Amino acid sequence: MQFGIFTVGDVTTDPTTGRTPPEHERIKAMVAIALKAEEVGLDVFATGEHHNPPFVPSSPTTMLGYVAARTERLILSTATTLITTNDPVKIAEDFAMLQHLADGRVDLMLGRGNTGPVYPWFGQDIRQGIPLARENYGLLHRLWREDVVDWEGTFRTPLQGFTATPRPLDGVAPFVWHGSIRSPEIADQAAYYGDGFFHNNIFWPAEHTRRMVQLYRRRYAHYGHGSPEEAVVGLGGQVFMRKNSQDAVREFRPYFDNAPVYGHGPSLEDFTEQTPLTVGSPQQVIERTLSFRETVGDYQRQLFLMDHAGLPLKTVLEQLDLLGEEVVPVLREEFAKGRPAEVPDAPTHAARVAAAAASKGESAA
Amino acid sequence: MKLVAVSAGLSTPSSTRLLADRLAEAAGGELATRGLDLETEVVELRELAVPVANNLVTGFPPPPLAAAIDSVTGAAGLIAVTPVFTASYSGLFKSFFDLIDPAALTGKPVLIAATGGTARHSLVLEHALRPLFSYLRAAVVPTAVYAASEDWGSGGDAYTDGLPGRIRRAGGELAALMAARPAGPASEDPEDDVTALERQLSDLRFD
Repeated sequence: MQFGIFTVGDVTTDPTTGRTPPEHERIKAMVAIALKAEEVGLDVFATGEHHNPPFVPSSPTTMLGYVAARTERLILSTATTLITTNDPVKIAEDFAMLQHLADGRVDLMLGRGNTGPVYPWFGQDIRQGIPLARENYGLLHRLWREDVVDWEGTFRTPLQGFTATPRPLDGVAPFVWHGSIRSPEIADQAAYYGDGFFHNNIFWPAEHTRRMVQLYRRRYAHYGHGSPEEAVVGLGGQVFMRKNSQDAVREFRPYFDNAPVYGHGPSLEDFTEQTPLTVGSPQQVIERTLSFRETVGDYQRQLFLMDHAGLPLKTVLEQLDLLGEEVVPVLREEFAKGRPAEVPDAPTHAARVAAAAASKGESAA
Repeated sequence: MKLVAVSAGLSTPSSTRLLADRLAEAAGGELATRGLDLETEVVELRELAVPVANNLVTGFPPPPLAAAIDSVTGAAGLIAVTPVFTASYSGLFKSFFDLIDPAALTGKPVLIAATGGTARHSLVLEHALRPLFSYLRAAVVPTAVYAASEDWGSGGDAYTDGLPGRIRRAGGELAALMAARPAGPASEDPEDDVTALERQLSDLRFD
């Protein structure tokens, strides 16, 4: 199982000081957070993609390429890459290039994006969100697997005799997660291709997450990729920790109360009860995270949101120390217990290259 | 069968709640004459004011609101009563129905009613409430009941029935629709949602 962090890349005023970091500082902080993730033994760093303030990460492969050069083991990913408004040809090329530079430590999570005006800014229509996701990914999938592509669709110009360069590292496309919170069509798309499904459950009750993952698992089996338990599932999480849980609640409350997404609404206590948000001791975070398995079954990737709502960099780095030193080692051990043999490991480039070689050997034999 | 009355009254006691109760009694009495048993539940939106606001902010209903939404969407018939605020339904009334899936009330028998200080606002039922429920594709009964303050202490006149007569007529219309409508699938099993999703998905090109 893989553990990591994902960042939205929001520039938010720290409600306790009234200070808003400049974009440059926030971008550098995101890099510092990524490097810290590797330092404390996490497996994955994933960045969002946004094209409107107050968010800074508009160019994920630029940032991830920079992080790749300064890390050794960390898997670089996205949360999410916009499959609707990006040209699938450019996604194919950008991520294949990143894959080479990072020696395979790359995968990506596709999402549709939920900011209405981004679609027209990129020449698209939000009402076509699902058809765009379907057609664009169909093309992206082919561009990574076929050396020469002839293609015609609805949303971009046709391609005749097109080769996306560079070709994927070792002839194996980056692993793809499809992220969706409430669209069954996307869970179905992930299942159809035998790709991973990531449910960003952090603002949602467990029952909703359970239904979406269950749908994905059933469709995965329906399309003949394996049993429902063999499907590849990722979840989000959101935590704030101090050794003493009362200290965590006291320190995090102003950030919660003013957070861009849910602030000025429910109380911290109600929200932690109704969603995966956990504010307390490392032990409480461990117990809460282990309970996700009861909701979705044994799964492959757990990403935590750690750096939003105006939390200062120093605090986030302290949080990552706690996550890497006290939480994740216990989670690795506990999630491994009683994990059925048929449940696959989280995808890595090396494992996918080996699997591709094995299936080639089989077909040759 | 189950009838749910949604009351958006804010005071206690509330004339909006009183009207909701009387309408429910009228529908229940009519169904009883047809040999049908009625279970009535009243949803007081005042008690859900904070959960409604939280749902608007977070995107999901807290448990008490989720239960109320399930009651409304699962009922065989619905009575929706609002006080008139600033020439329309109250904001709380609208916010509650904003949080219901637009397809969840399709075909549902609905009786609309409103209360106000003056009969001059009675057309609120026709220019605000009826279009709202038409958009939701509910089956709204022809008689909508408006109770102005003076209606609670006066009878009809040469041109119209008094409040009790209008309540009886509206309740009768709602009961007739409910009795005529076959009981929907009464499944409480959330698994069925997944099955329903799968059914929708069978239309997709992937298969």
